[in-house]
Amino acid sequence: MAEEIHLTLKEKRAEKKYFKEHKSHVKPTFGDVVFNILNYLFFGLFTLSCLFPFYYIFINTISSNEYINKGAITLLPKGLTLYNYIQMGRVNDLWNSVLVTFIRTFLGTALMVFASALAGYLVTKKEMWHRKFWYRFLVITMYFNAGLIPWYLNMAMLGLTDSFAAYIIPGIVSPYNIILVKTYIESIPGEIEESAYMDGASYWTIFHKIIWPLSKPILATIAIFGAVGHWNSFQDSLILNANSPELYTLQHRLYIYLNQSSNLAAMVNSSTSSADTAALANMMSTKTIQYTISMVTIIPILCVYPFMQRYFEKGLMLGAVKG
Amino acid sequence: MAATNTSAPAKDIPVKKKPKVVPKTASERIADKIYWVLRLGIVANVVMLFFPAFNPARISGLINKNLSLFTCGVSYNSIVANFGRALRQQWVQASSFQELRWIALLVVFAVVVAAAGGCMSLGSNKLKKLGCIVSFAGGVIEFFAMLGIRGVYNDVVAQARETGRLKNISPMLPFINKVYLAFAVGIAALSLVVFFLIPRLEKNAKFEMEPRFQLFLMMLPIIAFAFVFSYLPLYGWRYAFFDYKSGETLSMEKFVGFKWFTSLFQNAATRRDMLTVLKNTLAMSGLGILTSWLPMAFAIFLSEIKNLTFRRFVQTFTTIPNFISWVLVYAIAIAIFSTDGFINTMINSLNNGGAAATTNYLQNDDHMWLKMLAWGTWKGVGWSAIIYIAAISGIDQGLYEAATVDGAGRFAKMWYISVPELIPTYCVLLLMSIANILTNGMDQYLVFSNAMNRESIQVLDLYVYNLGIGSGLIPLSTVIGMVKSVISVTLLFAANGVSKAIRGESIV
Repeated sequence: MAEEIHLTLKEKRAEKKYFKEHKSHVKPTFGDVVFNILNYLFFGLFTLSCLFPFYYIFINTISSNEYINKGAITLLPKGLTLYNYIQMGRVNDLWNSVLVTFIRTFLGTALMVFASALAGYLVTKKEMWHRKFWYRFLVITMYFNAGLIPWYLNMAMLGLTDSFAAYIIPGIVSPYNIILVKTYIESIPGEIEESAYMDGASYWTIFHKIIWPLSKPILATIAIFGAVGHWNSFQDSLILNANSPELYTLQHRLYIYLNQSSNLAAMVNSSTSSADTAALANMMSTKTIQYTISMVTIIPILCVYPFMQRYFEKGLMLGAVKG
Repeated sequence: MAATNTSAPAKDIPVKKKPKVVPKTASERIADKIYWVLRLGIVANVVMLFFPAFNPARISGLINKNLSLFTCGVSYNSIVANFGRALRQQWVQASSFQELRWIALLVVFAVVVAAAGGCMSLGSNKLKKLGCIVSFAGGVIEFFAMLGIRGVYNDVVAQARETGRLKNISPMLPFINKVYLAFAVGIAALSLVVFFLIPRLEKNAKFEMEPRFQLFLMMLPIIAFAFVFSYLPLYGWRYAFFDYKSGETLSMEKFVGFKWFTSLFQNAATRRDMLTVLKNTLAMSGLGILTSWLPMAFAIFLSEIKNLTFRRFVQTFTTIPNFISWVLVYAIAIAIFSTDGFINTMINSLNNGGAAATTNYLQNDDHMWLKMLAWGTWKGVGWSAIIYIAAISGIDQGLYEAATVDGAGRFAKMWYISVPELIPTYCVLLLMSIANILTNGMDQYLVFSNAMNRESIQVLDLYVYNLGIGSGLIPLSTVIGMVKSVISVTLLFAANGVSKAIRGESIV
């Protein structure tokens, strides 16, 4: 932790220094001004292209369907309403998927983090029986892949099709994360552990009383990556649980809605009992259904992201060290 | 086996001290040898639980041949999947199969117990003795569970005979049942033998284990998971050599050797597909490699922005697309580019009263490769740039100052200082992307594919999916996957070799 703060301070100082020096003695030439304008313009526009789609989808979900159907929503919402969200709230499939996705994200991430921490700790212990062999046994799995179909057949053989366990169990052991944790634990001074061992602490005690708390920064990082991975996962639901709609993840559900939402529009709208014209004008179209579900899917990531960006970047840098 | 027998350390002696080595007795040495047989047997028994070929619970021809004993124990539905009619017409009783399921679970439990006993055999004599009792218990439970399966078999035969449907049910007692019985007896017997071979315990004997085995046993579950989910799929490569259709059973009559490998080249339709797919794959990977310098340029130009707030802002929001799924990217594509998406809405609102613009930019086949590249870049460039941004902040500022003094302009500094400093990082990433040239991932192409662009969007990963999961051509798609895996691993090691030769550092 201390190291990290130190680094960021150093970085900041370097940045400030750079900033100062470049400002102090250079009088901007015409070329500089043009370059700066173009540069700011480019990055401004690119950032906008990353933000605008989310904004556009959002304003469409909070506008009245009357305007949306007329194609009147361009840059600002019109006729603010939460109707779309309320309507979508009645679709049980969607809630089911939200629940499945939340549970798999929490459970899957927790188990993965625990297993990575334990394995990362154990492979640092030189006295383990054939440690090198087992470490390689784990690491090698990152570089080969039997292929999609053998993987599917294997999962079917293990009975992990049409089951919730298919989301959790295969992801528990993640060699990449184990390497990250191992590298981090190796940077913890060995004396702490040594002294605990001398006092008669077992490996398990050392792990959960010393190693676990000390490696929290790296565990937070892999947890965040793992959680995003679980939230975004789509293939396992698509391939393994195709016949169990009650187990579809949110992304899979969204994919289905994006491809065939005309039935869905009928379904959602049929739950509206009143048939007067105002209600009809306010019925959800295919488009608003797609937008609303997209928003439901993306909001958790957008909410969490700004706070966690630090961890994401750190995770990337750690990975880079390892190559 | 360890040649140490730890004597119990007194309280004030640090554990770290080397335990006193007690020489082994002759009977202990024999026990050690028997232990190896016992352990191997238990491991084999555990592995057998997961292989459909070794399923002792397959007491009827109607039970799917692709079910392992473990699956039988876990899910009742998988056992009776093909029994719809037989159960409805009461040819056999559902309760028998319920029973079968619980017995299968009992076998799994028994093997787990035996395995726990086997693990204890790595400890001190006291622990070994306990382990023997435990694995003996496991063997006995397994034995009776096997007898239970025979009982269920007899019930099913009786029921089927009563209703005259013996042929439809085709009951059978797999040979593997006897093998399991033998395993059960063997485990129990060997455990007993070892129990008596281990010398009588001293009074102060303790349950303990050498650190190296403690650590190994803690690691064992993780190793098992890695084996089951990363190594076991390789066993599925056998499908490449059989004439197999989804849902069928695999038998030696269907062995076809290299038929599917040759059909890749000999079958005209497959060959044409493969050529298109390879063209798409290589084109998209190639475009990716050609534009792989973009993140570096992005980072260099971003570092030219002196307003830190703005820079931070850009950096934060350009990385967001990396964290949303491809399905969401497709949702965005629909929101912006579809018939009633943003672009058409905007054109219509500006061009009031004119002909309504209703182009669906997603439903056509134009420039598919470039479009895919653009989406990939939009999603990934901000994130990939971070690594370069970090590298830039590590460059010695003196270099820039010296260059400024020498009269170097902005671009000269970028080209002669920043770029050379970033090239090593770039090379590593480039080599990795060359090694991954056949792997584009499936999600992006799957979500964007539709009837119009099918031809030009199908990359290898998507083709394998469409072929195997979509059309059920399991052997052919397995063959393609196999060839792809082998080429990818070769490329990776080649790239690693290149990296070692040039930079003296390996990348894997």
